[in-house]
Amino acid sequence: MASAGTETVRALAEEALVPATPEELLVGFRADLARATDPAALDEVRRAHTGKKSALKDALTRLRDVSSDERPAAARALNEVQRLMEAELDAARDLAERAALAAQLDAEWQDLTLPGLAARHGALHPVTLVHERCLDVLRRLGFTLEDGPEVETAHHNFDALNIPEHHPARDMQDTFWVSGGLLLRSHTTTVQARVLSERRPLPIKIASAGRVYRNEAVDATHLAMFHQLEGLWVEPGLAFSDLKGILAFVARELFGDHPIRFKPKYYPYTEPSVGVDVQCTHCHGAGCGACHGAGWVTILGSGMVHPKVFLQFGYDPSQVSGLAFGLGTTRMAAQAVGTDRLRMLYEQDLRVHRAAHRRDS
Amino acid sequence: MKIAHHTLSRWVDVPEDPRALRSLLDDVGIEVKRAEPHPTLGTAFTLELLANRGDHHGIHGVAREIGGRTGGEVRVPPVAALPSAPCPVAAFVDDPRCFAYSLVLLEGPAGAVLPSDVVAPIEVAGQKSVGAVVDATNLASLELGQPTHAFDADKVTGCVRVRASVEGERAWLLFTPEPVVLPAGTLVICDDVSVLAVAGVIGCEPSKTTASTTRVLLESATFEPVTVRKTARALGVHTDAAARFERGADPSAMITGAGRVVALLDRVGFVARGASVTSGPEPLPEPAPIDLSIQGVQRALACPDLSATEIEQRLTRYGYRCTSSGHGRLSVVVPPHRRWDVAFVDDLYEDLARSIGYNELPTSIPRVPHGVSPSLAERRKSRVDAVLVAAGFYEVITDGFYGRATRERLGVTEGHPLWAHVETTNALDRGYSLLKNQALAQAVDAVAVNQRMRTEVVRAFEWTRTFHPDPSAPNGVCTERPLLWVIASGAEVDWAHASREPDAWLMAGLVREISAALGLRLELRPVVDGEPLASLLHPGRSASVVRDGARVGVLGEVHPVVVRSAKIKRARPVYLELDASVLDLPGAPVVFVEPDTYQPAERSLAFTLPIRVTAAEVGATLAASGPSWVRSVTPVDVFHHEEAGAPVRTVTYRIVMNQEDPPRTAESMNAACDAMVRAVASAHGPRGVAQRA
Repeated sequence: MASAGTETVRALAEEALVPATPEELLVGFRADLARATDPAALDEVRRAHTGKKSALKDALTRLRDVSSDERPAAARALNEVQRLMEAELDAARDLAERAALAAQLDAEWQDLTLPGLAARHGALHPVTLVHERCLDVLRRLGFTLEDGPEVETAHHNFDALNIPEHHPARDMQDTFWVSGGLLLRSHTTTVQARVLSERRPLPIKIASAGRVYRNEAVDATHLAMFHQLEGLWVEPGLAFSDLKGILAFVARELFGDHPIRFKPKYYPYTEPSVGVDVQCTHCHGAGCGACHGAGWVTILGSGMVHPKVFLQFGYDPSQVSGLAFGLGTTRMAAQAVGTDRLRMLYEQDLRVHRAAHRRDS
Repeated sequence: MKIAHHTLSRWVDVPEDPRALRSLLDDVGIEVKRAEPHPTLGTAFTLELLANRGDHHGIHGVAREIGGRTGGEVRVPPVAALPSAPCPVAAFVDDPRCFAYSLVLLEGPAGAVLPSDVVAPIEVAGQKSVGAVVDATNLASLELGQPTHAFDADKVTGCVRVRASVEGERAWLLFTPEPVVLPAGTLVICDDVSVLAVAGVIGCEPSKTTASTTRVLLESATFEPVTVRKTARALGVHTDAAARFERGADPSAMITGAGRVVALLDRVGFVARGASVTSGPEPLPEPAPIDLSIQGVQRALACPDLSATEIEQRLTRYGYRCTSSGHGRLSVVVPPHRRWDVAFVDDLYEDLARSIGYNELPTSIPRVPHGVSPSLAERRKSRVDAVLVAAGFYEVITDGFYGRATRERLGVTEGHPLWAHVETTNALDRGYSLLKNQALAQAVDAVAVNQRMRTEVVRAFEWTRTFHPDPSAPNGVCTERPLLWVIASGAEVDWAHASREPDAWLMAGLVREISAALGLRLELRPVVDGEPLASLLHPGRSASVVRDGARVGVLGEVHPVVVRSAKIKRARPVYLELDASVLDLPGAPVVFVEPDTYQPAERSLAFTLPIRVTAAEVGATLAASGPSWVRSVTPVDVFHHEEAGAPVRTVTYRIVMNQEDPPRTAESMNAACDAMVRAVASAHGPRGVAQRA
């Protein structure tokens, strides 16, 4: 600092030609700088010590009166003071801004362990998801979805399907009768009956899915309303081996590559009738509570369309054959969810639905 | 039916391993529901029998089914020949519903008891041993599937007659406290004084055998299955005998059943003194033989190597009699025990398939040229599902019916458009008496159920259908209306901002999103006249969803009275309903319009709107009256306040205008706005709408 210019300014100060020596300017500045802690105070210091009305600017202005020999050196000295002040101010401002930002960030702390606020997705019903899965498989085989009424005639629900009045099979499907002698369909096979009655061109490949009703006392595992999904394929030349092949394909696609077995069953509208079991996935055939010790779980019922059904709709059973199968999709959905309380699926308790779809329910 | 492993093994060779036997039973279609150890007879199997197979209701039938599969010989226990002497008690059959009737008179010691090993099978089957006579009839029934009944001959007066009951006739059924009046026409067995038994269903107290019985009148008969079934249902009596008869008992077993009882009672000193067999007025006709094509069997089972000889052998195991009729055909006579369920060649295919084993038969996949895609309606439904799921809604499924209490809870009274319902006529549960004609009640129930479970935030939807009485419908009773309902209640928590309760605007937003997903222009309008749900929604917070002026749905806040009646607290659920027919409406495809490259200009216009003048109406006037380069007119702010003591809203619209090169002048844009304001003043000024400076 002890440059020639500095000496000149000191001399000028002694003669009161400038208001202060460079050292005095800096001492006063640094004292104010030390007291300034935020950007606003620093702006004030900047204004007071380097602004138009500052001592520094006053000194620079007064150099007009200094001889031309001394003026350049004095000016350099005062400019150096200004440079120092600016540098120290910038550094201090930077520090203050950092501190202010740190304080702001500290104040803005959020507890992000609280649950997130993005809109949570809902979900489709487990039964719908099972239907979609089944239909995906059946579409690959060319089946299209057909719909039908839930309030049906006894003809479509029973008589046309080889279940005459007072047949024991009607006991298997205790029926809700409604006013006007109609009934609530007890199976989705009614849709098959309606499609057959239309005498569409062959081949017919349709799937039907939806609500069915049974007039039962309701408990956790027995329902007055539940869901089924069925398929019907009518085409000349279909054989029992084709039924087995289709069932094996559907079973594998839906339940995975587990062993399956076929067994005789009775359904009035098919002959032969076939049940399909899949090896219990819990015990792998050893027998456990889930499969009631059998080692197998029945997954679908099926068969070749009964000749009486074909005759009912004007087909010649010697010229045409058909295969039909049905899945209890409510039970499948319950298995997928992991419960045997079927009723739970039809209660509107969203805890069940969240638990079925989300870990964070 | 319950059968023990050791019992079955006396009739036919079976695997020693109980698990292998279980598999075999399953394989022949006699499903094992439960297997449990028995102290002396090995594993006891509880069997689920097929509804069409009356012949399976006896150990003989089960053994025959196993023999048909394995080729094993069936061993029938001793059956006594009936005495040639006539039964001293005469029998008459007056009713064609009885095909044949036999009586055997036996005499023996009082209080006789069969050996414990003999009665063990009936105890396994769940019946108590009560003395030789009853045990013998029960055992014969279990073994051969032929129900028999023993009367105490000393309690029978005169002759025995099978006839229809007359009006007011009474019978004191076994195990009941007092006589009951039988429905007129019930097929009964009577003596000269009273009803001895209800045919094929149950005996009567006055003629039952006891420990002191020494003279037994043994009945064995064949009854028409439907008759037995109707009678059992009418009386509400379900017996093993009825279960066997109503599925079709073996007519040939009438004599063997009686002979088996005679043989069993012979072991304890009973002697048969006489027997008679009486045919009914219309004896059972012999079934016609079935003409079976060998090639047809080969084709149906995809077994080209199956020979006529093998087919004959396999069918013979089940009791069929086959004779060659030449040209690769067999004439197949159906055995009596299968006469009730075998009539077509397909029935024979099934027996042949059982004999070979379903799992042993070939498997093939028919040719499938190509798969199919979901239909347009299915795809459009998926889009709506996606909108709702993304918005946090869960799909639920409700019943198709509810009880009268639900209708009352809604405050629906006679004359209301929702009063009439299709009714169930035989529901076991009162909660199922009415088929639902609206979905709102169950939607509101969903909120109530979840509130009870402390789930305040409810977002639920369902695709369902409602049922509406309509005598002009094709079925003469009702039409079905598929629909979508959506309900929301309870605010999601929000740490950062004030939580917002779902309101009708949420539903309006869903309508907008569904419209976009389906390419439809669904609009909200004041609730249309005749809206059936109008009284169940808040009158000031509901709207119809319309397309091209036609109602396709409704939305709004659920009426506070309905909410209260559902015992919902702290919530004001909002509801949306759309006809599923929207899935079938043609949607407009999205046409891409490239956004303007120039920064658009923007103006704001604010109008004061009195109550019931909608923002949509004013917005539509603004949009219609602006030049073509006005890109959008959107409400961006609503301020509720009062003017002259009346509640009003100031709605601010954001007018976005496309720019061009050279830019439009401020004057031209302001002139456009002025024209729009004038249009609003002209159209809505008389209703109190005014521009707010």
